[in-house]
Amino acid sequence: MTSAPRAVSITVGLVALVLLAGCAPALRLSPTPAAELPREAELADVPFFAQERYYCGPASLAMVLAWSGLAVGPDDLVPEVYTPGREGTLRTDILAAARRHGRLAVRVRTLPDLLAELAAGHPVLVFQNLALRWIPQWHFAVAIGYDLDAGALVLHSGTRARYVTPLRTFERTWARADQWAVVVLPPDRLPATADEPMVLQAASGLERAGRHAEAATAYGALLRRWPASYPGLVGLGNARYRLGDYAGAEDAFRRAIDLRPDDPAAWNNLAHALARQQRRDDAIAAAQKALGLARGDGEAYRATLTEVSR
Amino acid sequence: MTGWGPFRLTALTMAVVVTLVSTPSGLALAGLVETEQVIAERAVRTDRARVVDFLLREDVRAQLVRLGVDADEAVARVAALSDAEVQQISGRLDTLPAGQFLGVVLGVAVLIFLVLLLLDLFGVIDVFPFINPIDTKPKR
Repeated sequence: MTSAPRAVSITVGLVALVLLAGCAPALRLSPTPAAELPREAELADVPFFAQERYYCGPASLAMVLAWSGLAVGPDDLVPEVYTPGREGTLRTDILAAARRHGRLAVRVRTLPDLLAELAAGHPVLVFQNLALRWIPQWHFAVAIGYDLDAGALVLHSGTRARYVTPLRTFERTWARADQWAVVVLPPDRLPATADEPMVLQAASGLERAGRHAEAATAYGALLRRWPASYPGLVGLGNARYRLGDYAGAEDAFRRAIDLRPDDPAAWNNLAHALARQQRRDDAIAAAQKALGLARGDGEAYRATLTEVSR
Repeated sequence: MTGWGPFRLTALTMAVVVTLVSTPSGLALAGLVETEQVIAERAVRTDRARVVDFLLREDVRAQLVRLGVDADEAVARVAALSDAEVQQISGRLDTLPAGQFLGVVLGVAVLIFLVLLLLDLFGVIDVFPFINPIDTKPKR
């Protein structure tokens, strides 16, 4: 009867081998990331909130929001990001809640970018599948540091502050969660790695959440880095308009028109900004311009012309 | 009427369509071109797209309420998402990953436990924080 335990151990070994072969992705960190990346970095100013019950989402979001200067704790965030029927937190709820608190939430998509954000002093909220595809253990944590020579990543995770995990292991658990991660920043501070479309999305998310003052600040920061951003200027104008700053909105829309004189959107919005300043003739001229430039979508611009002509 | 049956969906669709059709178009659509549309280079949305976006939002909101989220809170959560984000999650809230990790659930078959233990030792997974993988042990 000695063969039974042996058979079990052989089975376990085989299963493990199959899983290893199936799960381990190639390390995307090699060759080593950009030469200018420091060999190690760690943020000492990220507060740690221990996770209670299924609240890794609220705890992780609270850590990055508190780091960004807001006085919030996990308990404040439970209603905003915890979904009882799922006993957990959905990724979109993290994005929505960050925006509702007036913070820029920008996706980070690769490990070199994640490390670069840490080197720039930005904690990164990461989503991981700590177990396997067929028995997933979804988890939110906050990356706060790394050490390339030791091959280690430092996380505030679950009930552990400064949990040190091998970079290779993190890379696998992160890859099993679609490499989802975000930086959550004050609106005047842009990510180190994001491109213009990603920052635009994050800033327009602030508009969606009704945080127009923060949106205007974010568009301002975006325009300092990408001065020729047409959507950035329209966004700045829209945010100012919603804040009641119609002269400021007019200025932004006119700068957008300078960049793309043939795009009807900025002309349309300029018409509304002028109408709000009781400049009816100018508004009608701008609305007519938008209508003249329209390509098969003239209905909305005709509606604008009707409204500003009244 | 807390559910989201086909009847209610149809009724809501009809209500939106009737409202759009019966409102003079000059009033229904006039307004700023939203930044989101400029980014997407989608220009001005058609009536049809507006109805679809509205219904998807309504669908996600109702799903959140069904999953136990407070009604006002569900409205605020959906309002802070872009149309593209709403499209991605609509109808999938029951199955999308939700972060919740507590620790390994007790009572799982011993075999699975052993497999997890091995995988953790090899550094493939990271469910046991107290186990340092044998090949890539961090130096700190």
